[in-house]
Amino acid sequence: MLKTLRLDCVTLFMYGAFIASSSIAHASEIKLSFIGDNPSQAFLGVQQGIDEANIQGAFLGQNYNLTIKPSSSVAIFAAVEAKYISQLSKAYPKKIIFNLTEEDNYLRTECFANVLHIPPSKAMKDDAKSQWLKKHPHSEAKAQTWHSSFRKYAAGQLNSRFTQSYAHEMTDTAWAGWAAVKLLTDSIARHQLDDSASLLRYLKTELAFDGQKGISLSFRETGQLRQPLLLIENGKIAGEAPVRGVTKTINLDSLGLTHCPK
Amino acid sequence: MKLTSAAILMATLFTQTVLAHSTGRVFVTNERSNTVSVINGTTHQLEATIEIGERPRGIGISPDGSEVYVAISKEDKIAVFDPKSLKVLRKFNAGEDPEAFAVHPNGNIYISNEDSAKATVINPKNGVVITEVSVGLEPEGVAISPDGKRVIITSESTNMLHVIAVPEHKIISNILVGARPRAATFTHDGKFSYATAEIGGEVIKVEMASGKIVQRVSLGDDKAKPKDILLSKDGKSLYVAGGRLNQVMVLDSESLALIKGIPVGKRVWGLAMSKDGKSLYSSNGVSSDVSIINTVNNSVIATTKVGKFPWGIVIDD
Repeated sequence: MLKTLRLDCVTLFMYGAFIASSSIAHASEIKLSFIGDNPSQAFLGVQQGIDEANIQGAFLGQNYNLTIKPSSSVAIFAAVEAKYISQLSKAYPKKIIFNLTEEDNYLRTECFANVLHIPPSKAMKDDAKSQWLKKHPHSEAKAQTWHSSFRKYAAGQLNSRFTQSYAHEMTDTAWAGWAAVKLLTDSIARHQLDDSASLLRYLKTELAFDGQKGISLSFRETGQLRQPLLLIENGKIAGEAPVRGVTKTINLDSLGLTHCPK
Repeated sequence: MKLTSAAILMATLFTQTVLAHSTGRVFVTNERSNTVSVINGTTHQLEATIEIGERPRGIGISPDGSEVYVAISKEDKIAVFDPKSLKVLRKFNAGEDPEAFAVHPNGNIYISNEDSAKATVINPKNGVVITEVSVGLEPEGVAISPDGKRVIITSESTNMLHVIAVPEHKIISNILVGARPRAATFTHDGKFSYATAEIGGEVIKVEMASGKIVQRVSLGDDKAKPKDILLSKDGKSLYVAGGRLNQVMVLDSESLALIKGIPVGKRVWGLAMSKDGKSLYSSNGVSSDVSIINTVNNSVIATTKVGKFPWGIVIDD
């Protein structure tokens, strides 16, 4: 009997030690900022991303909040016209700027050191469509980032969460806002990085992000997020690009510009 | 004291009696057919098909082998059937969208509820919810340590392994792993666990005492989307369902080096191993079949057609 009691004490003591080592005394407060219209789909996407990041943060000791002061934030989520992206890049050279809405090719060829582009460029969409046309010559499909009826790869779970939160279907820019926050915050948690310079380096060289699109996503040197696209015909998902059978493997770099102009 | 010994002896005898009467059948859930396929473990022939409920996924067997449990996700329930008569005995509520689960040596079941970011502990005998534990987003894989004191839940969209202490039902560590962790398994001594990260395309090894990742390996093929993971009976080999690679990958459990890829059906997700460790079964989602692998030489000895999108497998041996 005595032996059993002692064992229990040891077990309890060890259990206490586990709790102490795994819980973090002070959750680090991390500020993020958003520039653009509120409400907007991009803003709702960012908000959804922050809510999900705080679920992860509750286990690992981070707490994310939006601030109106870009100067005190780690990253700036921008849903602004293309012409303002370069201005933001210059105004906040030490911050990571996420472009959430603009598809212009020239933003990618500019290769801003501190700008990451979440939406696919026009060139990526054009390539997706021409791959699709090789297999389906009469199709009138258009390329999109996301679709509210997307179910595969747990896209359905993300669509349901978003619709539950905002009673609205998740659009391309909402996905972009969500993805930007998730890939940034997961990287912060993973490496306990909180300075923009190391984070940017990590994101551009080591990221392996699950955007709920079935394949690991990463950034090109242009700052563009590599990603598969959806082909939408008559409001329905007709296929995915890179198009199987047209490209040999699932080569995400078969879509759009891959390198900075020399 | 004498009474206790007698009770243990009787319990042992009872267990042996039950085991001697196991059916030897292999049960497979078919996610898109709403059925369970019953395969004869000796002839590998399809014996019967059970109508079980909507979207059956996770499957497990009670420690005494008397009941088989099936998570019927769309009905938010677990269905229970008799492995001998194949009759559906009852269904009980299992929280929102139950997906995978594992049966604890004490008989309770630990379920991941994908849509509500929870793990639910239920006594399947009476359907009573013992507790719920909040975990990360899209919880999926459930693994129970051999001594029953630790449960791992993987959360796919929070990229974590949550380690839950039993019986306290408190999370004691949260381990950030590669993207979309789907399944985990313990070493036979319970000191380590292995997990797969589907989108990260990697297998990781965790030391349970420290909650730290001690080893990780990329499977090095873009098509390798690892899902289920199991350790061989001798503890030397790891079996990993390779998804779109259409192979069961065999890794050395020490070095995590790839030893062999066993070609199976299309989109292999689920794995189960016989108690004697000699037979491994894989559910191949897209080709709607089950591959039966001889683990002595790691080759497929039979393939059995089942329903659409076979998901989980359990063996009544």
